[in-house]
Formats: sequence, C-alpha cells, structure tokens
Amino acid sequence: MEKFKKYIKELFESGEIEGFLGIRKNGLHPVPHLFTPEHPEELETLTIPDVRYPMTEILLTIVRKYPDKKLGIMVRGCDERALNELVKNQKILPELIKHIGIACSADLAASCRCAQPYPEEIHYGEKVAPVEDRSDIEAIDTMPQEERFDYWMSEFSKCIKCYGCRNICSMCFCDQCTLEDNDLIATGQAPPAIPIFHLIRAFHMAGRCIDCGLCEEACPAHIPLRTLYRKVRESMSGFLGYVSGTEGGEKDPLEFLGSEGYMVPSKIDEK
Amino acid sequence: MTQKEESFEPKIIAFCCNWCSYAGADLAGSMRLKYPPNVLPIRVMCSGRISPHFVMKAFQKGADGVLVTGCHYGDCHYMKGNYITMRRVTILKDLLKFVGVEPKRLRAEWIAGSEGDKFARVAHEFTDEIRNLGPSPLRG
Ligand code: SF4
Ligand code: FES
Repeated sequence: MEKFKKYIKELFESGEIEGFLGIRKNGLHPVPHLFTPEHPEELETLTIPDVRYPMTEILLTIVRKYPDKKLGIMVRGCDERALNELVKNQKILPELIKHIGIACSADLAASCRCAQPYPEEIHYGEKVAPVEDRSDIEAIDTMPQEERFDYWMSEFSKCIKCYGCRNICSMCFCDQCTLEDNDLIATGQAPPAIPIFHLIRAFHMAGRCIDCGLCEEACPAHIPLRTLYRKVRESMSGFLGYVSGTEGGEKDPLEFLGSEGYMVPSKIDEK
Repeated sequence: MTQKEESFEPKIIAFCCNWCSYAGADLAGSMRLKYPPNVLPIRVMCSGRISPHFVMKAFQKGADGVLVTGCHYGDCHYMKGNYITMRRVTILKDLLKFVGVEPKRLRAEWIAGSEGDKFARVAHEFTDEIRNLGPSPLRG
C-alpha cells in the first residue's frame, strides 16, 4: 500500500496527472475521493477496500466540470471495460485519463461472478482467475414460456421507480433519458408501467452493458436486473458478434452501421 | 378450439417505411387485394426510424403482434437503415423470448413498393399466426 501511495505521489509530482480519483477512509467508511497535488497529505487516507463504487460514473461528473484536466482513476476490471466504452462513445479522451489498475481479490471476484476481475495493467493486487457462471441465465432459459413471463412480471412489479439502476450506471451517459420520456413511460407516476420500463432499459443495455452488476446491487427491490442485462449482452455477442467493453474496435452495431455496414444478424430460434 | 379462442381477433400494428413497404401496402389497396382489418399500418420515413420503443409501446398498449417492414437490402432510401432495423429486431425478439413473450409476435419483412401482393400475403400469414398464438400475455 505504501508503494502504491508513493506511486500516486510521483505521478502528481511529475505532473502526469492533476488529480486522482480513488477511495479514502472516512472514519470507518471508505468513500470515493478526488486526491489532488495541492493536498498530498490526503494520500495517507487512501485505501483499497473490497467494495466497489461507480468510479467511472463519478469520473464523468468530474470530467464534465473539468474537461481538460489530466486525471488518474483507480480501475478494476469492470471500471476499465466502462472506460473503454466511454472512450468509444466520445465521453472521455483517453490521452487525459490514466488507468491505475487494481486486481480484485478472489472473494470479490467470486461475489461479483466476474468474468474479468483485473484490468490490463495492474498496479496493486494479484490477478485471480475469472469466474465463468451463467447459471442465472440458464435457470430462466429452461423455464417454460408462461413461467418465464410470470417470473419477470412479478419481479418487475416490485419496482419503485427510484431510477437507482440508471443513476449508478456509467453506461447511462445520454443527455436525455428515454425512461423520462412522457410519451413512452408516464412520468411522475410510480410504480412504472411494466414491463416497458424495464425492457426499454434492458434494450439500451444491449451493446453497452459491461456487466459490472452495480445496478443490481443498487436496486432496493432486489430485481435481478443483472441477469436481464447479461442476457442482452449474450445476445449481442451471439447474433452480432459484438462484445462491449473491449478496447477500441467497432461501436455498438445497434446504433452505428460499422465499417462495412452490411452486417446482418444470425438467425434467431423462435421456439 | 374453445368458443373464446375462436372469436379472438388479434390487434396487429404494422410499421411501414414511406418509400417501399407503405407504397406496397398502398398498392395492395389499389389492386383491391384484401388483407385482414386486424393489421393497422403506421407510416414512418424509414424502417430505421422504428425505434424498439415504438414496438414495446405497441405491446404495452395491447398489441398482439407487431410487424416491422421496410425496403429490401440495397433499396433503403437512406442507404442502410434496414440493416440497423434487422439487428435491433433480432435482439428485441431474443429479449422478448427471455421475458416470456413469444418472439413470433414480432416479425420483420422487406416489402418493395411494387409488392402489393407480398404485403397482403404477409398480413394474412401474420394474422393467422398471431390468431393461433392467442392474445398477448401483456394484454391485462
Ligand atoms: S433500481 Fe430497482 S426499484 Fe429502482 S428503478 Fe431500477 S429496477 Fe426499479
Ligand atoms: S427507407 Fe425503407 S427501409 Fe429505409
């Protein structure tokens, strides 16, 4: 940890970054914090706990206010996937954002069921094995159709329309949100119309979701949102060969034609 | 078949692009080809304009089936809008399936302005198919 703090300090001193978005200990609570060269002493409180925060979502807020600052950000595997998408969608400039990589612990990787619990370059921690687990999707895929419908409708009906799932999501970077479009979903009315509220969000996650699972952690109604978005993520790779969160490459084929423009999806089994 | 199923008349929304499929629907009319009154065409400029939101809103409002139609590949008047359409429809069908709505309730077809007969045939086929499926589970 001391080595890590020293590394950040050096980055400040050399001017390579003008701020570092990390986590500090506030009494007993770890909270996200923007460390700055003006207050190097704050680095004493820097910590790397086994919990996650929507770091890239916080970064976006900072970048909107200070668009030309060089910033470092503490990234886990999921955060890095999010940053890759934000670059592709022109929300951040890669030359201004330095990734400071953290490998997640085996415990965290297991509780997140994370398929890639480490970023490209690691400055802290040891790489642990990815967790491949799609049992949540399988459980639903194998239900008869009516049962699937009843299952999701009963889950969706628990929604209190707090928008927590959207607000915590760093892939929800649109200036105007469809979930607040009165012509589609009545605004100022809770609970929301179902399933349209959840299906619209799910469709938007196709081609964007980087499978961090923060939405599901945030949902006060414990709706298995991640399962829904993992499914659309799978559909995107199955039918269109597209995986979001990878560095560079093509953009979301549901919104952009792509370099050759002629790509058609493979055929769906309608049974 | 029970009495109730027999009398079931599906509600079908057909989104048609201005340049090909709507012209096709129009031609079906001028050719005096009959197609089921269950199918309600809505004109948009390009099939690429048919946002998945429109489709979901149609289902939410009680449509039993949604037909998305446009120009054949290569004929889209905005070049490649229909490629995006087919990708979106495929992902949406898979999502519908996952939440327990039969993916067959959503169908995409390319219909040229000269294919009035194809429009009528698709409208018949799709209406029969949806009638067999019964009312949408989303109909309250
Ligand atoms: S976080 Fe859960 S309860 Fe809140 S809007 Fe999203 S789905 Fe509904
Ligand atoms: S104009 Fe007909 S599909 Fe684009």
